[in-house]
Amino acid sequence: MAIVVLLIGLCAGILVGLLGIGGGVVLVPALVHLLHLDQHAAQGTSLFVLLPPIGLGALLEYRKKGAVDFHAGIYCAAGMLLGGYLGGRIAVPMSSFLLTQFFGVFLMLSALLLWSKASKQATPPQASSAEGGA
Amino acid sequence: MERTAGFLFAGIVGGIASGLFGIGGGIVLIPIFGLLLGFDQHRAQGTSLVALIPPTGLLAVLAYAKAGYVHWLTGALLIPGLFLGGILGAKIARRIEPRRMRQAFAALLFLLGAWQVFGNWNHG
Repeated sequence: MAIVVLLIGLCAGILVGLLGIGGGVVLVPALVHLLHLDQHAAQGTSLFVLLPPIGLGALLEYRKKGAVDFHAGIYCAAGMLLGGYLGGRIAVPMSSFLLTQFFGVFLMLSALLLWSKASKQATPPQASSAEGGA
Repeated sequence: MERTAGFLFAGIVGGIASGLFGIGGGIVLIPIFGLLLGFDQHRAQGTSLVALIPPTGLLAVLAYAKAGYVHWLTGALLIPGLFLGGILGAKIARRIEPRRMRQAFAALLFLLGAWQVFGNWNHG
């Protein structure tokens, strides 16, 4: 049991570094389907796991490549503290089933948005990335 | 100034998703950085990791914990793997071109979303 949990952490961690995400997006489905937590417990546990700076090692790797905008990241973090509180207040009273459905639809919509961006970039030679510098 | 307001706004949107869905929020931040603020994929991902370093989900965790929705032991066991895996994943990411990475990310998200929605129907 403990080993399964450790392995889930390692797999989710690889995605943290590979994709620059917190990992919750993978942890929540894994906790629900592999460890059979209900949706609220999976989300609460995932939020707890994300409190320590688990992405620090990954961040240092990105910094070696110069692919980090600290100014943007810090302001973003300030907004997230407030937004996280609001989101938690909305989610806790919701039913687990409804929350699961919302989460799934949210993931699929984000996926379609990202995919369309990636496809658009294929035809004109990357004009949009010019403004990225800090 | 306008860009700073944009970053704060991105954070609030990412934070709401974070508290609502129990995620880090990077999944929302990366498309906002990429689509609205014109970052390339590697920079969007690296910057998202900065926003995820401080414990921004603290208030959200307290909201969940109050309702008894946090499994502390399971959570504690997940942390070391996530940290080590993160370094490994970042080393891999540096060798991959941005467009390919964005597509892989999108495909993964879609599968996870479908798993959430339809997996739940089977279990009743």
